[in-house]
Amino acid sequence: MDTIAERTAQLFQEQHQNIIRHADWLFARLMVCQWLFGLGLALWISPRTWAGTASSVHLHVWAAILLGGAVTAVPVLLAIFNPGKTLTRHVIAVGQMLMSALLIHLTGGRIETHFHVFGSLAILAFYRDWRILISASAVVFVDHILRGILWPESVYGVLSAPIWRSFEHAGWVVFEVTFLLLSIRKSLSEMHLVAERQAKMEALKESIEQTVTERTTELAKANEALRAENAERDRAEQKLHTEYAVSRILAKSPSWEQAMREVLQTICGIMNWDAGTFWKADYGAGVLRCGEVWSGPSTETDEFKILNRPVTFARNVGLPGRVWAYGQSTWVRDIVQDESFPRTLATKQGGLHGAFAFPILIGKNVVGVVELLSREIRDSDDNLLLSLNNIGNQLGQFFERKRIEGHLFQSQKMETVGRLAGGVAHDFNNLLTVIGGYCDLSLLELPENDPMQGNIVEIHRAAKRAGALTGQLLAFSRKQVLQPRVLNLNEAVQNMEKMLRRLIGEDIDLSTVFESSLGHVKADPGQIEQVIMNLAVNARDAMPRGGKLTISTSNVVIDQRSNLRNRTLEAGQYIMLAISDNGMGMSEEVQSHLFEPFFTTKGLGKGTGLGLATCHGIICQSGGDIRVYSEPNSGTTFKIYLPRTDAVLDANGNHEAKLLPKGSESILVVEDEPAVRTLAVRILRQQGYQVQESGNAFEALELIRKNAPFQLVLTDVIMPQMSGKSLCDQIMSQRPNSKVLLMSGYTDDALAHHGVLDEGLSFLEKPFSAAQLTRKVRDVLDAPHPRQPTHCNSNITELVAA
Amino acid sequence: MVGAGFTVLARYQNASGTVGRTPSDWPAQTRVALDQKRNTLVMFAHPQCPCSRASIEELNRLLARCHGGVTVQVWFFKPAGFSEDWTRTSLWRSAAAIPGVTVYDDPDGAQARLFGAETSGYVLLYDPRGKLRFRGGITGSRGHAGDNAGEDAIVSLLDGQEPNLSQTPVYGCSLLGECRASFQQSAQ
Repeated sequence: MDTIAERTAQLFQEQHQNIIRHADWLFARLMVCQWLFGLGLALWISPRTWAGTASSVHLHVWAAILLGGAVTAVPVLLAIFNPGKTLTRHVIAVGQMLMSALLIHLTGGRIETHFHVFGSLAILAFYRDWRILISASAVVFVDHILRGILWPESVYGVLSAPIWRSFEHAGWVVFEVTFLLLSIRKSLSEMHLVAERQAKMEALKESIEQTVTERTTELAKANEALRAENAERDRAEQKLHTEYAVSRILAKSPSWEQAMREVLQTICGIMNWDAGTFWKADYGAGVLRCGEVWSGPSTETDEFKILNRPVTFARNVGLPGRVWAYGQSTWVRDIVQDESFPRTLATKQGGLHGAFAFPILIGKNVVGVVELLSREIRDSDDNLLLSLNNIGNQLGQFFERKRIEGHLFQSQKMETVGRLAGGVAHDFNNLLTVIGGYCDLSLLELPENDPMQGNIVEIHRAAKRAGALTGQLLAFSRKQVLQPRVLNLNEAVQNMEKMLRRLIGEDIDLSTVFESSLGHVKADPGQIEQVIMNLAVNARDAMPRGGKLTISTSNVVIDQRSNLRNRTLEAGQYIMLAISDNGMGMSEEVQSHLFEPFFTTKGLGKGTGLGLATCHGIICQSGGDIRVYSEPNSGTTFKIYLPRTDAVLDANGNHEAKLLPKGSESILVVEDEPAVRTLAVRILRQQGYQVQESGNAFEALELIRKNAPFQLVLTDVIMPQMSGKSLCDQIMSQRPNSKVLLMSGYTDDALAHHGVLDEGLSFLEKPFSAAQLTRKVRDVLDAPHPRQPTHCNSNITELVAA
Repeated sequence: MVGAGFTVLARYQNASGTVGRTPSDWPAQTRVALDQKRNTLVMFAHPQCPCSRASIEELNRLLARCHGGVTVQVWFFKPAGFSEDWTRTSLWRSAAAIPGVTVYDDPDGAQARLFGAETSGYVLLYDPRGKLRFRGGITGSRGHAGDNAGEDAIVSLLDGQEPNLSQTPVYGCSLLGECRASFQQSAQ
């Protein structure tokens, strides 16, 4: 309340002061006008005083100028230079009253001129200051009294006037002043009231403004919070939008190339980047290659795209290389200022500045790097970094999924081809066994000079080639039965060197570079020879005008898990066999289909398309991997990785003898294919064995139960009703000392895990020759008996070990 | 300063003009006609004198108060060589407009000199026999209309009463100026 009272007083004073100043201003002009009017009047009525024909300026004119000026000048000057002051308005009041007195005098005391007094008092009331009226009234009163006594004609226009007349005039002045004072009082009261209202209004306004300010501040804070929330929501929406869009792309894309093209476009589009590049890790070459590049619709970034395509980065080189090396996202505010950014030309032409790169991770392995570039200098954004890291993980999962899908697809394809091959191989090998077997028998029975010998040899050769073809079909589909042994690849290659030189011809120079302390591998020696031979033939075909073929071996250590072509090599020690040529090389497109079955570049009738598929199948079945490095017109290198083993070398069981081994032991031949069964029985009987035969496993078991125990059971694996493997188990359960030799053209994993023969099993692969049959039978019969024959596997394990 | 101004002004306005030797009997050589049946009131005025406006106003009031019974003539000084326009001022017209007042030019102030009039507004009252009954001004001070002793004396005389005064000071501009001086010199 005190504040309002103080403010009321202040406002009242301000308003009053304004009024006073206004009245000062009014009187300043009024008095000047009065003075000019008086002067004009004097000049009009009595400009000159005369003496005959001579005249001079009338005293009234001088009086108007000087006396009027004297009366007017001081108040006017005070009003101009010292407005609003108490003295000023009192001087004005006195001056105005003196002006009235002068006018009254100059008009000879005309009663009408007295109205100037009343008018002046009314105007002086504008000051709303009762003291002014008192001052003015006092001047009027004194003037009337003095002049009324001393010079009544000057004030009343009469020669003599009673004193009461002056009092009468003063009374009228008092009369007017009384009402003017009442009016002033009323007016001041109203002014005070207005001031009080205004003070209250101001207080209210101030209160409202304070409330508004507080509310505005609160609102601003709320708005700020809302903006922050909106920004956070926008970022979250952008993040979700991007992740969702990327997820959709990844879900529908058939290949990583298409996926990355769309992903780059989407990320750049949503997050306002001008260009993006996907760098794919090539662990074989140890570089990042440009897998995909996208840029916005501008010529400059197109230039960047063109310049970017052939670029590669080694580890820790350039932005992508650094991300690859450390597996972490990296932000570069302005690549132009970054000395470790080597693509200065490309970025300058693209007008690019801000850059960000994040890894595509599968576990801890970086399989690629996504690099984003902007025309603007961009500060690091933690939210964006987090979002893109998530996308990096999404892409990593996509790549892993694609790898698994590819692997699955390849497996399914192999499975399909394998099934086909297996189905064919089973029956086909039986036929080939019969053809080959009877050819053998015919050759044994015919005299050496019989003209049919040549025909039979050709038939036998064709049967062998057909058998090899069947073997390849099984090999690439990994359905063949490998019989691994501990090998030294140096020896394996040395043993083949002569044959290889013949195979590749004289135009091609074969050289070998062997690691002297090469470790051992466990693999099927025949299959390894097949692989080397296939690769050598391919190298030869790639060098039609001659060249150089180099076969080298080395011990290698793979220090981290690596993926290539859907194959994974675990970290560990490997033996590497490299076969290099300086032939025509291959394009990336050819390389991507190289190991697919029936894929060939050799033209119709020149290749089966099974060679490299077979190699791949054999090596993969052996737990290794085969990788190719090739550049068009620069040559090709195939690198075979086989797991190193610390086992000692197996003795070389390769014994070729021209004479078929003989025996007299009792043998039961179990084979559902009559032709094969008859052939086997006939060969074995010719060699002196006591042979009985059976068409199925049940019949065989019955024969075993009824007769004396057979010293060897030779059984097919794939048979209706009961397989050879089950028969073996039954025999071992009944007669643990029995010996069993399994034979098959296709086992359908009945005897093997992942194609590798289970430990201890004796196996004869169809198609077999008479020699192969009799030697294998002799080997098994000569082997010692197992000690505790409770199970087929354990029996045979001991049998083989012996 | 204002007081001094008022004082100077008061002194100026209360300063009466000079009066010459006025014949007590109607001068024979004058062109002014004496009314031998009624009193004759003669006023001499300077046509340019602003102070004489009050005298003309008082003359008008005087005639209103006395209801006739007097022949009034106002003689305006007309110097030689001056055109009539010089005398036909608003003062001339005001005097001429008063009923019963006859206005004349007084070339070179010859009549004024005969009657001893030296200050504008000088009023003379002669009875029908040519005897001077009153002389002086009919304003209380210079240029101030209003009650005054001269007017009261004339009214009394015209009413047949004996006035308290037969002579009052006259307030106004010098009627003849240097003409008067040359006249005096020539008279001497």
